[in-house]
Formats: sequence, structure tokens, C-alpha cells
Amino acid sequence: MTRILTIEDDAVTAKEIVAELSSHGLHVDWVDNGREGLVRAVSGDYDLITLDRMLPEVDGLAIVTTMRALGIATPILMISALSDVDERVRGLRAGGDDYLSKPFASDEMAARVEVLLRRSNPVTQAETMLKVADLELNLITREATRAGQPLNLLPTEYKLLEFLMRNSGQIITRMMIFEEVWGYHFDPGTNLIDVHIGRLRKKIDPPTLTPLIRTVRGSGYVIAEPV
Amino acid sequence: MSLPNPSKGWRSSSSRLLALYSFLFVAWSSILMGVLYWEVTSYLNTLARHSLMQRQQLFSRFQGAQLDDALRTSDKFDIRTVDAYGLFDNDLKPISGPVHEIPDGLKLTGEIQELDTCIDSDDPDLPRASCDAVAIHTLDNRWLILVRDNGSLFAVTTLILRALLWGVSLTIIPGAAGWHLLRRRPLKRIGAIQASAEAIVTGDLTRRLPVSDRRDELDMLADIVNAMLDRIERLMNEVKGVCDNIAHDLRTPLTRLRAQLYRIQQQSPEDSPQGEQMAQVIADADTLMARFRGLLRISELEDHQRRSAFGQLDPLPLLQELHDFYLPLAEEGGVSLQLKIAENLPRLVGDRALLFEALSNLLSNSIKFTPAGGQVLMIARAEGDTTFIEVQDTGPGIPDAERQAVFKRFYRSETGNQQSGFGLGLSIVAAIVNLHGFKLRIGSSPSGGASLVLECRQVLALG
Repeated sequence: MTRILTIEDDAVTAKEIVAELSSHGLHVDWVDNGREGLVRAVSGDYDLITLDRMLPEVDGLAIVTTMRALGIATPILMISALSDVDERVRGLRAGGDDYLSKPFASDEMAARVEVLLRRSNPVTQAETMLKVADLELNLITREATRAGQPLNLLPTEYKLLEFLMRNSGQIITRMMIFEEVWGYHFDPGTNLIDVHIGRLRKKIDPPTLTPLIRTVRGSGYVIAEPV
Repeated sequence: MSLPNPSKGWRSSSSRLLALYSFLFVAWSSILMGVLYWEVTSYLNTLARHSLMQRQQLFSRFQGAQLDDALRTSDKFDIRTVDAYGLFDNDLKPISGPVHEIPDGLKLTGEIQELDTCIDSDDPDLPRASCDAVAIHTLDNRWLILVRDNGSLFAVTTLILRALLWGVSLTIIPGAAGWHLLRRRPLKRIGAIQASAEAIVTGDLTRRLPVSDRRDELDMLADIVNAMLDRIERLMNEVKGVCDNIAHDLRTPLTRLRAQLYRIQQQSPEDSPQGEQMAQVIADADTLMARFRGLLRISELEDHQRRSAFGQLDPLPLLQELHDFYLPLAEEGGVSLQLKIAENLPRLVGDRALLFEALSNLLSNSIKFTPAGGQVLMIARAEGDTTFIEVQDTGPGIPDAERQAVFKRFYRSETGNQQSGFGLGLSIVAAIVNLHGFKLRIGSSPSGGASLVLECRQVLALG
């Protein structure tokens, strides 16, 4: 069973994180201070750590730095009340794998945890061909086919599809898409991401075939085998 | 905003003071000289009359050959050009003495008279200017004319006037030089004060006005202003601290709120009537969070802290990326989105991500407010050491009166329709533009729509 360590000093937030991740079938341990968090984190018993940036006793940044210095590669999702862009850069540079600033939505957090867990799986890393039902994406030739028909994708559409397919079956939020595909960390406001997904959909989900991209209301999108 | 220039000419206080001082000095010396002149002339006048009277008394006692002798003797001792006499017979024909003619206007009364022109003669030894003169009827029935020049009086007048002229010019010339020197230093200091004040006006509240060691009036004033600035800065920091605390305190409750709402939604059955409502509540909570993040972002940008990601960047790929990013949205709304970029645009100094954010806000607004069939144009051109990046649209445009207001947080045009939008976009743009030291101008596009122009510094312009 996948084990998650949540280091978070606010009890209510922690409870929600635990509840949300548990509902995804993950086992979550919660620690409310930095010192104990660091001890547990370096034990290597966990598959992923959600780490609050500001903690009593030992600071979140210090925990990441220490872990990485000890060579522990457990994926870390940093959660911070500091939204400063430099703060994000600092967190990621110290060794955090993803950064989420408060206030956050718990489904957003869960989606990021899932993606991080998937990313750390060595099997998916080595793939040269991604496949969801009859949709195929060749990562070497950068060609996509649906039901054997080649798809003509623009560079951004290719990046978007690759990101969705690498995380097939998992909910990907709009914010994650914007960060991953375009590389920016602000709120583009309008329904821009939806429009881009809409374009991609037109190409890979023609009306004659079963749609593969599904909208998860309020959260984001998922690409998966039709049920 | 700019500060008024310190006055360079007569308006400066030192100039005025000096002018007043010079005027008073000149007036005072004129009065002094005037009084002196009056005193001296009246004294000399009395002296001249007195001397003439003495001679009159002396010569009136003689007659015949005695008088001729006395006159000749006197003539030897008298100073020529000052004293002169003329002896005439009863028919006023000259007998002896340098004066051969009875001066014009001299009445033969025996009284001393003051004449403007004394003697009409070419003899250089005779007094010619104004003089005192007297005609004496001698005992032997002749006429003796005695003349005493007032020329010394004239000389005194000239002397005093000349002194006055020297005095005045010696006051005015060093005065003007002094004025020039005196006003230069305060102007220099005011220039320094102005430079500091401008930095403060543009937002650097840590700056203070320069204070010298002299502790003069300017320093006193600078001290007062500095004390005021200290207080303002402290207040600003307090307010900012309170805002930051509020913001920080709100993050956790907002996270909890959203999480709990989401959990309730997850736990309730899929198609219950509450499910629909729950989804709406969560959507509202998301909007709330998005706006909250927007506000935090602006205050973060306004802190002027984020210079770390500044670097040189090529505007072309940035604009192309923006075009690609917004093209689907524009096409969705039936708006054409075009890029018009001049060749060989110089590189800019800035934070690529922030510029992308700023321009994406401008584009997103333009696309939002341009009706279907319209056009949004992104133009980039370089002119001198500035690169202009303009976003033009064929929408309703921004009225003059609203051009400043659109930068206010949450502002949305009164006349605008019910378009969605957080109303924070342009405030974020303004904050990013300020951070870069760029300028943003709002104008009208040729079609009457809005035109937003970003004036960017180029790499070379930084020197």
C-alpha cells in the first residue's frame, strides 16, 4: 500500500488532507511538527511526503534540504502559506518536487500527489509509447494516432496530450496543465485551458468514436479507457 | 507625477533677499548723500556770500586812487577764476579790472545776487558758471562789480554725485555676483532634495531628503520632512503588516473551507438536489480563492521584491507564444488575433514569466471585450531605445475618463456588459509594469477600440 506522510501543523487542514488522500486509497500518517516530521521523513518508509513550508521547531525548507542531502529521493509536495514566486523557486530548488500555495483545493492537492506518485514510478519513465484505448502517442517520433488514424497535432497540443496520457486515469487540474504545458505559475483567469482542451478533443475524440477525455466537474480533466 | 522645478531666477528667496537688500542700500546711500550734499552746499553758499560781503564792506570804504590800489592788491592775492572785479564809471563803461562787462541780470542795488551765468567772456581766468555778484556804487560815483564764483559748489555736487554713482555701482555689481554665488548652492541642494523626493514619490519610501552639517533653514525643513516620512513609512509598514497578517490568517481558513465543502460534495450521492447546489458553492469558493490569490499576487508584486528572475529576453518568441496561447480563445469568440512584429527587435530586460502574465492579461481583456467578427492586433516595434508592444482591438474602447480608473483593483467599466472577469487583471499589469520600470499607455486604436501600449526598456538602453 502506498504510504504518505503529511507534515502539517494546522489540524483542520491536516485532517482534510488525510481524508482526501485516504479517499484515494492511500495510507496517510500525519505529523504536526517539524522535528518529528524530519525523523519520519528520513526513515524512508514513505512513498510521498506533503510538507508544510512553515512548521514549528524544524522549518519545512530545512526538512527538504536535509532529506536531499541524505540522498533520500522521496517525492515531496510542498504546501505553503507563502505564495511569493521566489518562495516557490526556493522550495523547488531545495528539492521539493511540486509546490502548492495556500489557499488550495484538496482535489488539486490530491491530483498533484497522484501525479507525483506516478512520476516516481520507474516503469512509466522509460516508456517510448503511451497508449490509452486505441489512442497511441509515440514519444520518439512524436506522432499520435487514434484508431490507427494519424492525428495532426500542434506542438502545444502534443505537449498537452503527452501530459494527460502520462497520467492517464488521473485527474489533472487546469492549474497543473498550465504549469506543466506552458510553464507559467499564474492564474490565466478565463477558460483558456478549457478552450485548449476543447481543441485537442476535437482532434482525438471525433464524434464517431468513444470520447477518451473526460471533464471532472470542478476539478479538471482525465484521459482514460472508456468504462 | 513630477515635482515642480526649483525656480532658477528672481523667484528664489536668496535673489529676492539680495535684491531687497541692494535696493535698501542704494536708497539709504542716496539719502545719506543727499543730506550731505544739501549740508555742504548750503555751508559753501554761506561761505561764498560771507566772503563777498566782506569784500563789499572793505571796498566800499575806499575811493579814487585808493580804491584802484586796493583793488589791484586784492586782485594779486585773490584766486583767479573765483574772485574777480570790474570798475565802471558812472555811465557803466569799464575802467579797470578783469570784468569788462556788467553781468546780465545784475541789478545795481548793492545787494548780493546769485546769477546762473556769471560773465560772458572768453577769458579762462574769469568765473563763468553760476556766481554771487554785487554792484557797489562807490563813494567817488563809480560802479564796482564784485563777483565770486560758485564753481566750488558745482565741484562738490559733481564729487558727491560721482561718489553716489560709485557707491551704487559698487553695490549692484558685487550684489549681482553675490546673488549668483549665493543662489547656486541652495539650488544645488534643492536639486539634491528634489532627486530624493522624486525617488520617494515613485515609491521608494526608504529614501530620505539629504541633510548637511550646516543645520541651516533648508536642513531644518529637510529634517521636518524626514520625520514626516519616517512616520508615513512606519504607518505604511504597519498597514502592510496588518494586511499581510490578514492575508496569512485567511489562507488556512479558506483552505479548510474549500476542503470541507469538497468533502461534503464527495460524500453526498451523485445526483441529489444538494449536489448541484454544492457544486455551485464550490465554484464560488474557487472564485473567492482565485481573487484572493490575485490580491496577494498584486501586493507581492508591489513589494518590488521580485527582481531575481530578471534577465535578457527576446520579445519575438514571447509574443509568438502568447499568440499561440490566445489564438484558440480568440477563434472561439469569432475574433481574429494577429501578430505584427517588426524585424530585429532588440532584447528586453525583464522577467519573462511576468511579462507573459502582463501581456496575457491585456490580450485576454481585448479578446473578451471585442465582439465577434472583430480583430485583436498585437504590434511590436522599436523606436530609439524603447520597444513598444501594443495590443489593439476593435472593441468598444476605454473612455478617457476611465483610463486611470481601469487600473484600480476590481474596477469594471460601468458601461461594459456583464462580462466575467476578476477586475484585477489591469492592476496586476500595472504592478508588473511598475516593477520593470516600463510604462503603460491607454489610448484608442484606429478603429476606436482600446489600445494598450507597453513601453519597454531595451538591453542597450541600460548602458
